[in-house]
Amino acid sequence: MDDGFTILEHPADIGIEARGATLAEAFENAARGLTALILDPSSVEPRETREVELDGVDREHLLIRWLSEILYLYDGERFVVSQFAVHSLSPSHLRAVLRGEPFLPEKHPTRTDVKAVTYHQLEVDEGKDRSRVRVFLDI
Amino acid sequence: MFVPLDAYRYLIPRTYKKGMRIEGLVYADAVLISQIESDQTKEQVANVATLPGLVGRSLAMPDAHQGYGFCIGGVAAADLDEGVVSAGGVGFDINCGVRLLATSVDEGSVREKIEPLLNQLFRDIPCGTGRKGLLNVSRDSLDRVLEEGAGWAVRNGYGIEEDLARIEEYGCLPDGDASLVSAKAKERGHHQLGTLGSGNHFLEIQRVAQVYETGTAERFGLHENQIVVLLHSGSRGLGHQVCTDYLDIMHGGMKKYGISVVDRQLACVPVRSPEGEHYLKAMAAAANFAFANRQMMTHFVRQAFARVVGTTDVRIVYDVCHNIAKRERHAVGGSEREVLVHRKGATRAFPKGHEALPPELRDVGQPVLIPGSMGTASYVLVGTERAMEETFGSSCHGAGRAMSRTRARQETSPDALLQELRGRGILVRGESKAGLTEEKPDAYKDVGRVVDVVHGAGIARKVARLTPLAVMKG
Repeated sequence: MDDGFTILEHPADIGIEARGATLAEAFENAARGLTALILDPSSVEPRETREVELDGVDREHLLIRWLSEILYLYDGERFVVSQFAVHSLSPSHLRAVLRGEPFLPEKHPTRTDVKAVTYHQLEVDEGKDRSRVRVFLDI
Repeated sequence: MFVPLDAYRYLIPRTYKKGMRIEGLVYADAVLISQIESDQTKEQVANVATLPGLVGRSLAMPDAHQGYGFCIGGVAAADLDEGVVSAGGVGFDINCGVRLLATSVDEGSVREKIEPLLNQLFRDIPCGTGRKGLLNVSRDSLDRVLEEGAGWAVRNGYGIEEDLARIEEYGCLPDGDASLVSAKAKERGHHQLGTLGSGNHFLEIQRVAQVYETGTAERFGLHENQIVVLLHSGSRGLGHQVCTDYLDIMHGGMKKYGISVVDRQLACVPVRSPEGEHYLKAMAAAANFAFANRQMMTHFVRQAFARVVGTTDVRIVYDVCHNIAKRERHAVGGSEREVLVHRKGATRAFPKGHEALPPELRDVGQPVLIPGSMGTASYVLVGTERAMEETFGSSCHGAGRAMSRTRARQETSPDALLQELRGRGILVRGESKAGLTEEKPDAYKDVGRVVDVVHGAGIARKVARLTPLAVMKG
């Protein structure tokens, strides 16, 4: 089964390539890839809802802000997400609804400590029926 | 195209890439240069050389490998009036650094106690991803941590006043301004003070295996067979968020100042712009968090030694920053002036006589601490005059990765790795088994070779080699 994302190699760190029928879906899959690097997503129950609204100068910038927000929710607010729904996405604005629950170390087995989302070899490729994004993370 | 200048220096001329304003220089030997050529390091050294207002050369240390924007192991100095500051040139883990602690006990007398000691440290120091610190600092206290650094920790019972002289910048960058650190960064930081972290961060109980310069080692408080502790950690989520926030701000600022860069991760603004000055003050605050973090863990190490070994004599040899940008005085074009030195995975290596050193080290030079990869040796070096002349007083910072994390994971199982290390008499406790294999020794370059290049090139001198007895990984 296609998870919608692939983990990429980097000499020191890790990247994610995510795909989707729309760019919004590719963004959702990139967020799912990020979460799967941090912890076991199957352990996360979608019990609570969070809304995310972000502005950016372009789609690349929005992708960085989007993934940085997911990372912040985990590392800052200790909230982990298993369902991502990007409801609207323009080159300068993103609105999404996230479902997840508060992070509990005993409930959510962690995997990798992701420090940040980088601009390194960042790609956002929006196609007519197929979109693709690529991003590298600092580990 | 590298132009070898001698056995340890490879030049990247300005003709290598369009837009290079200064030359690049990589410190390496024939083996390391071929490893360095296997990834994007050279391009990144050349890319840095395109940034406005840099002075001297764009440098890479022998442990250099591909990073983001800047390579890891990169050093670049900016003119304060004409030059830029780059958040990516410091990196996400602001003031990731290393601290070496010397104990009063030798290996022979505590061999049986190493395992209980490791277990005690593993209990006392939270590590791994998602782990909270033992202390949940209030907003007010966190602001003081950000402005006072290790001094805050000492004044709150974590250590002694004498510790501060043995930390780069006395454990506090005075420019730290908590009001320029975002609420998000503080939210990530307030529950992570006193935690080791994950990834390549570690704590090792080591023995001094070999001394190369007896007099210098003695002055650093080191002798053969002595038990020492090496601690590698940084500013945790707080520093990562500060870098993320200011990369964003710098991207906005570049348009304003008419700066364009060849790689967005190199985002930068003039040193003397509001954005640049704010970044440097927020970076200093994150650096202070890291100093306080390592200071608190030093206290936990002392408690563990007191409880398990019965000694309270655990002194700081030195504490160095690996990811930092600092205003320092250096000779540029025949005259000495203040420049902004970015060290991205590089260590300050000041020689004897430098005023930044505490009086007790001023006639010997700065200890330069080079951690090896898990299960291999680490080194203590001393800064040199040559480093001041050539590298803005900088040296390497470790072994440097040679293999991706994914490949390291695929090649070795955690159990096989643990068995191999155990067979060599090295105990390991790790929060994440998969994380352990990512840090396996051969995922890194040969630290001995890296240090030999540094020594051979004269940008630091070897003082002692340390070998691990027990490793704690996040």
